[in-house]
Amino acid sequence: MMALHGGKLRSSKVWLIGVLLIAGLLVPIFVQDSYLRHLFIISFVYGIVAASWDLSLGYAGIFNFAHVAFFGVGVYATGLTAKLLGIDPWAAMLIGGVAASAAAAIVALPVVRLQGVYVVLVTFAFSQLVMQLVINQSNLTGGTQGMVRVPTIWLPGYNFLRDYKLGYYYVAFGLLVTTTVCLRWLVRSDFGLSIKALRDNEDYAVSRGIPIALQRLKALVASAFFTGIAGGFYVIYLRVASPEVFDFSTVSLILSMVLVGGTSSIYGPLFAALFLTFISEGLASINNFAEGRFMLVALAMIVVLLFFPKGLASALPAILARNANQKRSRQSGTALADRALMTSSDKENEAEAASHSGVR
Amino acid sequence: MITSDILSAILVSGIVLGSGYALMASGLSLVWTTLGIFNFAHGVLMTLGAYIAWTVSDAAGLNFGLGLAIAVSAAIMIGVGILIERVIVRPFYDHRDILLVTVMTTLAAMIFMQKGIQLIWGARLKQLAPIATGNVQIWQTTISAQEALIIVVAPLLLGALWLFLDRSRTGRGIRAVGQNPDAARLIGIDVSRLFIITFALSAVLAGLTGVLLGSIRLLTPEFGSEPLVKALIIVIFGGLGSLGGTVVAAYLMGLLEAALVFFVGIYWAPSMIFLLLILVLLIRPQGLLGKVVR
Repeated sequence: MMALHGGKLRSSKVWLIGVLLIAGLLVPIFVQDSYLRHLFIISFVYGIVAASWDLSLGYAGIFNFAHVAFFGVGVYATGLTAKLLGIDPWAAMLIGGVAASAAAAIVALPVVRLQGVYVVLVTFAFSQLVMQLVINQSNLTGGTQGMVRVPTIWLPGYNFLRDYKLGYYYVAFGLLVTTTVCLRWLVRSDFGLSIKALRDNEDYAVSRGIPIALQRLKALVASAFFTGIAGGFYVIYLRVASPEVFDFSTVSLILSMVLVGGTSSIYGPLFAALFLTFISEGLASINNFAEGRFMLVALAMIVVLLFFPKGLASALPAILARNANQKRSRQSGTALADRALMTSSDKENEAEAASHSGVR
Repeated sequence: MITSDILSAILVSGIVLGSGYALMASGLSLVWTTLGIFNFAHGVLMTLGAYIAWTVSDAAGLNFGLGLAIAVSAAIMIGVGILIERVIVRPFYDHRDILLVTVMTTLAAMIFMQKGIQLIWGARLKQLAPIATGNVQIWQTTISAQEALIIVVAPLLLGALWLFLDRSRTGRGIRAVGQNPDAARLIGIDVSRLFIITFALSAVLAGLTGVLLGSIRLLTPEFGSEPLVKALIIVIFGGLGSLGGTVVAAYLMGLLEAALVFFVGIYWAPSMIFLLLILVLLIRPQGLLGKVVR
């Protein structure tokens, strides 16, 4: 696969990433406004959540609808440990990630053994369960009122509450970059190939010795870890938490980012998240449109699924064509044809993935 | 100690709960067995049906009778059901991941309608007038006449649904399509028409459930969310394969919930149910009563 895209394309991609990184670092110099910086920070958080969802939903092909609940677990685990146990907020953020991973492991217990719609149902039911728990334990979590006055991070000699969110911006940006690097590394590793193989041709991948339950468990736990950290940062930054994070509308908002960006690329959902956060927050500030914007989000989801099943990015040629190609080869033909006549690149992937995991 | 009046209270409230769940879950199950898709908008259809009935019947609305309200609500639900099938389900029948895609489109439809309801009717609480007024004593427990009505109407509606599916030509066609759409098409069944009828029927069932529950609960735009989640759990327990399994699971769920609320309290009941769910799925991944569904 790499050989096909070597040379020019690859170097132009490196350039693009470099330019984006520098642009990201320079944003606060040009953007002094506290509210605009806030939008950047929130969009980075959503970017992490959407991109890490792509790992379990897009790459592993697990119909996981508990991802936003894992984010919520991160929010509340961090908030509660930092506020009630007095744990250092930096460490509490990490606890948020670990707690989200633990929640994912619990969900994975039934999910790795289930098929199709049952995975959807169990993950949705789990989200509702966590929300119920948060609302019921109101003496700890604040219930529907939400949790307030969560302590925030600090560094020696630096107060994050000053400088118009400058410090928060760089923490969020750092988390986003780290997450993206980790996710890209994961999906291109042997592990990433093996979960793709399981998604594209489960029987064949299993017959080549890929442990299906274990790989799916790992995919869920890993994707939950990043979203949990993002949740931890979210609550440390906003200093309040509300059970709204578990709401169906939050799920649809983040899902729309994944869909608009196109699955199985990591970058797609990430940039869609940046883009959609600005649009959605912009609409929310219009009078009485806080609810109406979710109607637009829902419409956007349907339009994208109807007309741009590979994500809006697939409508743009040039640089993004690489991602589109990758997906086109996967989605071509019906399920039957896929099994009988796999495209050569997928076959290579699978054989490679299978032999790697067989060796281990 | 479990005395007979406690037992009576648990049984009666369990059957009231179960009746609502059975109506709710049977509509979901009908669409699943026929089209092989899971309709997340089912809960909000219930909300919409109740709100339409409220607008037609309530003094603050058009102030017509409840009978007309139910008729109007059912008629509009038929239209909405057809619209959903046409716009967000039909385009994906040939899609490889039809299940996943339609979960997303129906989820989007749910959000769209829920927020739309909020924009049209506002967030203020509303309540439908009960169809039956007064109280009824069953065994040693007193419940409102409306709740008693639900206990009676649910089996009647479900029985009618079963008769329709078992005896009528259209109903048999729906089951044939559910079993094998290609074979059904080969012997001359109009599959496309039956898909529409199924969706409309399911939407009407949801709307009627909403009208029935709308007078014992308060109407909010999120009115249908909790029943939807319960219906999710029921179809996991019962397996999605058959209407019968779903209905049995719905009543069991109602009784279980009533018992759990009594023994572990309303706070822990949902968690206990979920724990039980995980255990069931670990032992029988196809559901407690279900067959393997792929």
